[in-house]
Amino acid sequence: MIFHFAWRNLTTRPLRTILGLVGLSIPVLGVLGLFSLSGGLRGLVTDTLGRIQGVMVVRQGAPTPVFSDLSADLGATLEKIPGVRVAAPEVWKVAPAVEGVAAFSVGGLAKGLWSKGPSKGFFDISVVVGEDIASHRRLKNAIGPKAILPPEQGGGRYLEPGDRGRPHVIISKRTAEMHRDAAGVPKRVGDTLRIGDKPFKIVGIYETKSMILDAVILMDIETARALLGVSADTVSAYYLEMDDPSRMGQVAAAIEAAAPNVSAMRVSEFQAPYGAILDQLDTLLLMTVSLALAVGVVGIVNTMLMSTTERFVEFGVLRANGWSRADILALVTAESATLALMAGLLGSVLALAGIELANQFVGGGVRLPVTPGLFVAGLGLSTATGLLGGLYPAWQASQLVPMDAIRIGSR
Amino acid sequence: MIEATDVHKTFRRGEREVEVLRGISCRIPKGQCAFVVGPSGSGKSTLLYLLGALDRPTRGAIRVGGQDLSTMTEAERDAYRRDRVGFIFQSFNLMQNLTALENVLIPFRMRRVPKAARRAAIELLAEVGLEERMNHRPYQMSGGEQQRVAIARALIKDPSVILADEPAGELDSRNGDEIYRILRRLQSARRTTLVVVTHDRRPIVADDRILEIQDGRLAGSGVNPNITNPHLGHLLVRS
Repeated sequence: MIFHFAWRNLTTRPLRTILGLVGLSIPVLGVLGLFSLSGGLRGLVTDTLGRIQGVMVVRQGAPTPVFSDLSADLGATLEKIPGVRVAAPEVWKVAPAVEGVAAFSVGGLAKGLWSKGPSKGFFDISVVVGEDIASHRRLKNAIGPKAILPPEQGGGRYLEPGDRGRPHVIISKRTAEMHRDAAGVPKRVGDTLRIGDKPFKIVGIYETKSMILDAVILMDIETARALLGVSADTVSAYYLEMDDPSRMGQVAAAIEAAAPNVSAMRVSEFQAPYGAILDQLDTLLLMTVSLALAVGVVGIVNTMLMSTTERFVEFGVLRANGWSRADILALVTAESATLALMAGLLGSVLALAGIELANQFVGGGVRLPVTPGLFVAGLGLSTATGLLGGLYPAWQASQLVPMDAIRIGSR
Repeated sequence: MIEATDVHKTFRRGEREVEVLRGISCRIPKGQCAFVVGPSGSGKSTLLYLLGALDRPTRGAIRVGGQDLSTMTEAERDAYRRDRVGFIFQSFNLMQNLTALENVLIPFRMRRVPKAARRAAIELLAEVGLEERMNHRPYQMSGGEQQRVAIARALIKDPSVILADEPAGELDSRNGDEIYRILRRLQSARRTTLVVVTHDRRPIVADDRILEIQDGRLAGSGVNPNITNPHLGHLLVRS
């Protein structure tokens, strides 16, 4: 009954109700959108790293191989550890300017994210990975060879022993599309790609659909050392494959015991640093949510205060007809909760529609999640906001002395 | 029986206190019609609202049917207003977003409306001549019709007391007379005590009790069996 009455009261003042709805649904829309973005980025990291099986040995404390350096002699030690089948050395570095475009170009996160086509944003930073071709060819579960595009799409081939010391690279389809010729045609196998001031011949094109993996430019380790100025006695990391993948944990522990100052991490463990960054993003989101909530609460307080102030006579008449203070409190709270629930519905539907739309344009393997949980969170958030914001006006209305309410309202 | 004893009521307006009622004492026997008359600002409406437990007197006691309103708890006062009093206001004070029938059922609206109450509301609206207007909203009705809805709302609980504040104050004389006719008919049929605050002395007839208030004090009260409407003047029998 009370919700029916509350609904009638809201529909009696449609303009105010609509303004209140919009005022609260926008923060809900924003909050859900941001949480979906956070979820999308987490999904990207999890999905990307989950594809890689094996252990990555890096310098202790290095968050990624890009920031790691190890002795080139370590490989022999690692391969002697029982359980290690292959220890493949790699050199990782942020690429110098590719086709004259600096690695850290001004573009930013948004440009990189909101574009399926080529652009020069944050996520377009290229990383050069130099592989020891011989040892990498012994890997059973390497991603690279499997990701080469089929011949009909111009995929070319993966690195071969003949590429040792030669300026041959394998690039992603995304990198190819970023660097087009004068006619707008993407780079193809056989074309030249300038990295730094050196020309490289493209021998293969791959696609993983992960913006993290698709940032890699692959070449022979000696070629990479020459390009990046890395000495012959240094590598960034070793990619290890095990005889028995189920014993990966024990072997990793054995490696760390045998080789001091190194970390043997399952590649999925690299998720932790990304997770830490995303946790910080979530903290930022929580602050945004709090701000949005505060704005929502103020909006509801304002709407409901205006509503209750002009309805003093109504409350007086209801009290005269036997309604208690608690009844009035419940009525006004029901009105604010109903308004907030509607705003939650509107905000959630708009957010989900917006996310679906955004997914049409977001590239790089990012998929913004649309989940029932997100919908429920939107409704819960707005309802809590409504209840919180409606409390003061409801309390104020309930505290009116009926005679005063009728007298003041009649003036 | 309504019995007021030395009732005072003081309001605070800004820095100063205004004593609206200054020691009113009166009795209204059960089932009688009483008219509270007096100039504007004399305290008539305040007395009416105190009789309806819409506020507490600053001093003094009000007893209705043996119950002292001034010592009741908040919940008892809510129950008193819900079960024993019906209010009729000058401005009708109907909920604009509810139909006539829904307005009559306002006292039950927080809870599920009993079927019997719904039937009673329909009968009451028929009794006041609104059987064709039950599903109309107040803004679709004339002032006289709205006040008839308000009468039905006041009577739906079958109260022992009806308190009416200038019930014809916003109506023309024809509609005003009709409202008084309806009020008297229903009051007589139900043997309800009726207390009316009014400027207009025309509706007062023989055997009605009159309470004349001036400056917050009772200037006179009583029943004059010889009154022949409409020129009451100061023919009151001093009590």
